[in-house]
Amino acid sequence: MRYGMVIDLKRCIGCYGCQAVCKVENATPPGVFWARVMKREFGKYPNVRRVNLPLLCMHCREPECVKACPSGATVQREDGIVYVDETKCVGCRYCLMACPYGSRFFHAKERYYFEGYGATPFEEWGYRRHPTGVVSKCDFCRHRVDQGLEPACVANCMTKARHFGDLDDPQSEVSRLIRDRGGSQLYPELGTDPSVYYLP
Amino acid sequence: MRDANDVWIPSVCSQCYSCCGILAHRVDGKVVKIEGNPESGNCQGRLCAKGVSGIMTLYDPSRVNVPLKRSNPEKGIDVDPGWVEISWEEALQTVAERLSKIRSEDPRKLLVMASVMTMDQMYFARLFGSAFGTPNSVWNSGAGNHCGNAEHLFGALLHSAWSKQPDTDYCSYLLNFGVPCGFGAYYAATGMAQRIADARARGMRHVVIDPFLSPTAEKADEWVPIRPGTDGALALAMLHVLLHELGAYDREYLKHHTNGPYLIGEDGCYVRERDSGKPLIWDAVDGVAKPFDAADIKDFALDGRYEMDGAAARPAFAALKEHVASFTPEWASPITTVPVATIRRITAEFAEAARIGSTIVIDGKELPYRPVAVLYFRGAQGHKNATLSSMAIELLVEMMGASNVPGGVLGQNSRCLGHPKTGRPSWSPVAGPDGLLVVGGNWSGALPYPWAQPKKPESMSLGGLAPTVIVSPASLPLVTLDPEKFKIPYKLEMNLHVGTNYLMTESDPKVSVAAFKDLFQVSSSLFLDEATYLSDLVLPDTCYLERHSLTAESVSSNSPLEEWCYHVRQPVVEPLFQRRNFSEVMLDIADRVGMREDFNAFLNLLLDLKAPYALDVSRKYTLQEILDRRFKSMFGEEHGLEWFQEHGVLKWPKRVEEVYWKPFVEVRVPIYFEWFLKVGEGVKKVAQEGGFDDVIETSAFQALPEWRPCASHQEKRSEYDLYAIYYRVPVHSFSATYNNPWLDEISQIDPYVYRVAINIETARRKGIKDGDWMDITSAGTDHTIKARARLTEGIHPEVIAMANCGGHWSKFLPIASKSDKGACFEWLLPLTFDNMDIPTFNLDLCAKVKVSKAEG
Amino acid sequence: MVFSDPFDSLKEDLSATFRPQREWAQRRGLLLISAHFLSGVGAGAWLFSTILALRVGLFLGLAIVLLGGIGHLAFLGRPERFWRIITRVQSSWVSRGLAGITVFSVFAVAYLVLSAFPGQAGPLQQGALTLSLVGAVWICVYKGFVWAVAKGIPFWNSPLLPAIFILYALRGGIAILFVSLLFTAQPADVGPLELTKLWIGVSSGALILLYLTVMPTTGITASRSVSELMGGALSLAFYLGVVFLGLVVPIAIGGLGYLTTLAPPALAVIGISSLVGDFYTIYCIARAGVYRPLIGEFPGRPTR
Repeated sequence: MRYGMVIDLKRCIGCYGCQAVCKVENATPPGVFWARVMKREFGKYPNVRRVNLPLLCMHCREPECVKACPSGATVQREDGIVYVDETKCVGCRYCLMACPYGSRFFHAKERYYFEGYGATPFEEWGYRRHPTGVVSKCDFCRHRVDQGLEPACVANCMTKARHFGDLDDPQSEVSRLIRDRGGSQLYPELGTDPSVYYLP
Repeated sequence: MRDANDVWIPSVCSQCYSCCGILAHRVDGKVVKIEGNPESGNCQGRLCAKGVSGIMTLYDPSRVNVPLKRSNPEKGIDVDPGWVEISWEEALQTVAERLSKIRSEDPRKLLVMASVMTMDQMYFARLFGSAFGTPNSVWNSGAGNHCGNAEHLFGALLHSAWSKQPDTDYCSYLLNFGVPCGFGAYYAATGMAQRIADARARGMRHVVIDPFLSPTAEKADEWVPIRPGTDGALALAMLHVLLHELGAYDREYLKHHTNGPYLIGEDGCYVRERDSGKPLIWDAVDGVAKPFDAADIKDFALDGRYEMDGAAARPAFAALKEHVASFTPEWASPITTVPVATIRRITAEFAEAARIGSTIVIDGKELPYRPVAVLYFRGAQGHKNATLSSMAIELLVEMMGASNVPGGVLGQNSRCLGHPKTGRPSWSPVAGPDGLLVVGGNWSGALPYPWAQPKKPESMSLGGLAPTVIVSPASLPLVTLDPEKFKIPYKLEMNLHVGTNYLMTESDPKVSVAAFKDLFQVSSSLFLDEATYLSDLVLPDTCYLERHSLTAESVSSNSPLEEWCYHVRQPVVEPLFQRRNFSEVMLDIADRVGMREDFNAFLNLLLDLKAPYALDVSRKYTLQEILDRRFKSMFGEEHGLEWFQEHGVLKWPKRVEEVYWKPFVEVRVPIYFEWFLKVGEGVKKVAQEGGFDDVIETSAFQALPEWRPCASHQEKRSEYDLYAIYYRVPVHSFSATYNNPWLDEISQIDPYVYRVAINIETARRKGIKDGDWMDITSAGTDHTIKARARLTEGIHPEVIAMANCGGHWSKFLPIASKSDKGACFEWLLPLTFDNMDIPTFNLDLCAKVKVSKAEG
Repeated sequence: MVFSDPFDSLKEDLSATFRPQREWAQRRGLLLISAHFLSGVGAGAWLFSTILALRVGLFLGLAIVLLGGIGHLAFLGRPERFWRIITRVQSSWVSRGLAGITVFSVFAVAYLVLSAFPGQAGPLQQGALTLSLVGAVWICVYKGFVWAVAKGIPFWNSPLLPAIFILYALRGGIAILFVSLLFTAQPADVGPLELTKLWIGVSSGALILLYLTVMPTTGITASRSVSELMGGALSLAFYLGVVFLGLVVPIAIGGLGYLTTLAPPALAVIGISSLVGDFYTIYCIARAGVYRPLIGEFPGRPTR
């Protein structure tokens, strides 16, 4: 059993729905982006392409962050989900240097989205999950996955570009998509074996 | 049983006008999550970034929370009104006194403004205005220049719909003139994103014609950059290739479903049967003219020239064909900058993909199969040449017979046969005068057909002057400034201003300030935005998470396919602070003004409340009671408000006869807009009589399409060398979402949202580097705006492009009004009749500008 | 810039092709760089003071390592949990580092305490000294590995990096001793020291050059880092700090030592200049670190 995600870049329109719904689902504070989208342009006018790349934690099978973490706060579960135990993290940020995918963020201090106004009721409620002084990252919405739900970014993606399932099961939708459509990982040569695949 | 401390409440989003069904999660009285309601056909359980970010609109500390009145008598675009808190009682009393006085003197002096951003309040405000007795209701200012104007005109005339969508289930070639359909904006934003993605995965070819590599164009199979304002010329050249080079058009469709066979005389008008007055066609077999609806017609002639009572006549189609003979690709290429070969290739692909003559069986019914669609909206039609360019683009679809049949262009809810149990609501296009289409009941603008004779205008938007005007954001401020010029015998005194930021969506803000600052402006608003700088009173409105409403049913099931969906909007939390739902406030005000009976009567009429659910006009009702009656009247006793509150959505499948209605409805659509000529003459006469023919120039009332240059194409000063355009992004709605910190954060990360895109080569020539501040000066307004450059290869070298409506300046919107938050495009747009398409009062949106690196 | 909060530039960084790392360089990140610098040179000073039997140097070395240790702790987001850092010695170089600092600190203190009672604890004292030396070497060695194995930042992933950190620790230690000569009455024979210093200085310079020439061949990201150093935002820090203060000045003054005997103040100038250069070296290496571009022309396959 190893959870993985497949992101179909043919369907993705770079709308930032994943980034926004992650903000809501996980109530991540300012400066913390568990999900995000990058855009880049290639070519010369008029033959130009713009590529959107949704990013999140890659939940690597061989996670560099777990190796780097000196305190045992970064944990890989049996099902492949890599998460940060915020009660153990010391905030050394070594994992930020170790992760090749820029998936980790240091929550330095309590900040609110409306500067100078304090916490909104939503933030009062949500930021209890986000102590300061520790590193924070996507955990594949393990609270949802444990209830049998898909991660929020998968459930909400309005072009249905995201798929979630068991990479170890060759019959699963994600395995089939990777096989049939030629799914690829980011920087596979680093030996991290990410659990997030992209379809061209 | 529900745990009151942890509940999911079904409701409807209002972060744009798509009205997606939502489920809001409330824990201990706090809204902690918004998801798409999987039961809602509009969104199918998925929301855009705006939709899930609504929590931050609810809890924004900049919201208006108490009634306010100004203490500073001086009004100006950035003059602090000096807000002072007052009681609701004082506010309502003030409003009621003013309204009573106006109603007794001349109710026309009241202006009601609203916006598609708050569809529900707009709907109620329109009812209120109508009951009050003013023709100046509702001015849809929040969408302002972002409206489809001429597109809605042709939507009504050709598709019996406010707007349209491609048939994503079957379409195989989508020719898209810059519409963000499927890219998180436009109608049914989320639903269409899924459908267009499905179509893309299925292999639908998507060709996007756009000056900018927009979020839509970037996903297209082919991006065709074009000079702004010249889409009509491209469409004309495509018509030329179709009709003259490829001979590709759907003869059967043109004969039976359009006025293509109607004979046109030398005066450009129909040749009519003397007695019946019916337009004649030429029976090619019998060789005689017959009324278009004669039972014994053997074959409709589309070509040729015929002698009729000594005068020559030709079928409308033949007139069109001859008309486009000169619009060759060689003619269009220098205008559009699209290469000749590209025009021919795309047209050939389009024609081939249409599979003219083919059929498909759906639900046991054999239907024409035309898997090509053409879309256009703000971009292509937002110009001085709006009507004629739109006409040219629409004709591409009509030539293919790809209108409201599988694979083609589908009117958005053109036809509804009602809920299976009650048969309500129901509407359908019907054949009107001359056998041409009259739009069905799902319509919220002025009815363009059967056309009304132009008459002396009575409203500030010159309503009644031309039946081709559907919505007219552009004319109203100009007439308000000088009603006498248009022989309008009153001046506006009061503005009931509901949730629109017209200063940032309605062309040159200076003109808006001049037009509206002397009115007593009562605003019901979420924010102290720019428009409230001119308010005398501001009432704290509820946002969509705090109120009940009808959710604007005209679009509440606006996906073209699959299901009819009726939603309820209901409060997820009780209104915070002293906020009040303005629909309820209007009911109160109606009472205080003594117009309860009129209001109730209008509610009965426009909400179509049938006995026993009709309102007793003398009784006072709460909004909830009205909603309850509306639902029961439509869907039966068991489907009252309570049912909706619990279930959120009532839905039933759409039928083939509704979605692909064309083959099922005996009605023709025009490909030759004969009466436009007469409308033009009528308008000219009224304008001459009224002495305002100097500004109302009627040459654009034509039966057939042409391409005419915009002012920007004719700018002579060489330093004004670039066209400025705007486009929509999926993370903002007009100007309304810029204070939302989550969306703001995304906009900062995105390379384009807060920057102005400029071609790398163009920028190099001007010494502008990526991230530099630029001065952008409009040739039309002489106003300069500042914005930071984003250098890109993905834009036409003559163009700069900016997203939505950034560049806020209200100090009461602390996030939106910071520096480097985009630019306010409206400053570049001169508001003059000269700069408008007269048949639709659509303002030209391509501004000619000069651009230089800003100092400091 | 160096004092600005990484938060302020985060949104811009996230859309940059080459996202810079800032957490280990800016604002509080300066604490980490300083701590790395201090613990390295402190350990170096301890080693050379032992060899040269410079008692003042021993005290200074220990004090500096302890200061570095405190700097490391102060950098943490959760200093109160510092003890957890030592729990992953099997996999994490940061854990190993703290272990090294702990071993060194404990035994260095023990040695100095024991040495206050001469003749009492010979073998114990020797044992403590030996373990403190092991700790000091450990500190010099682990640093480079911390950076070199961090896969996020290709610029650091050079096998030369540990060697460079070791050399810098050693010459930093010597530099500390140079400075310490100002405050000590001991008429130390610094001749060999000077030569050593010169040699190490030159070799460090050579290594840096080698490093910079070799690294770009490993990819566009590391080249980007190098160009940041050589011609980008960091070029002033690099040329003035690393090259001029860290190499040119000490080598030039040290070169004079061949012709004439240098007075302690001149030696101190060498020391301080060299130390400043060493600090800048770590700072530049840290700041030049950028992440790989994640997005490429072909979906899912980044451009290399």
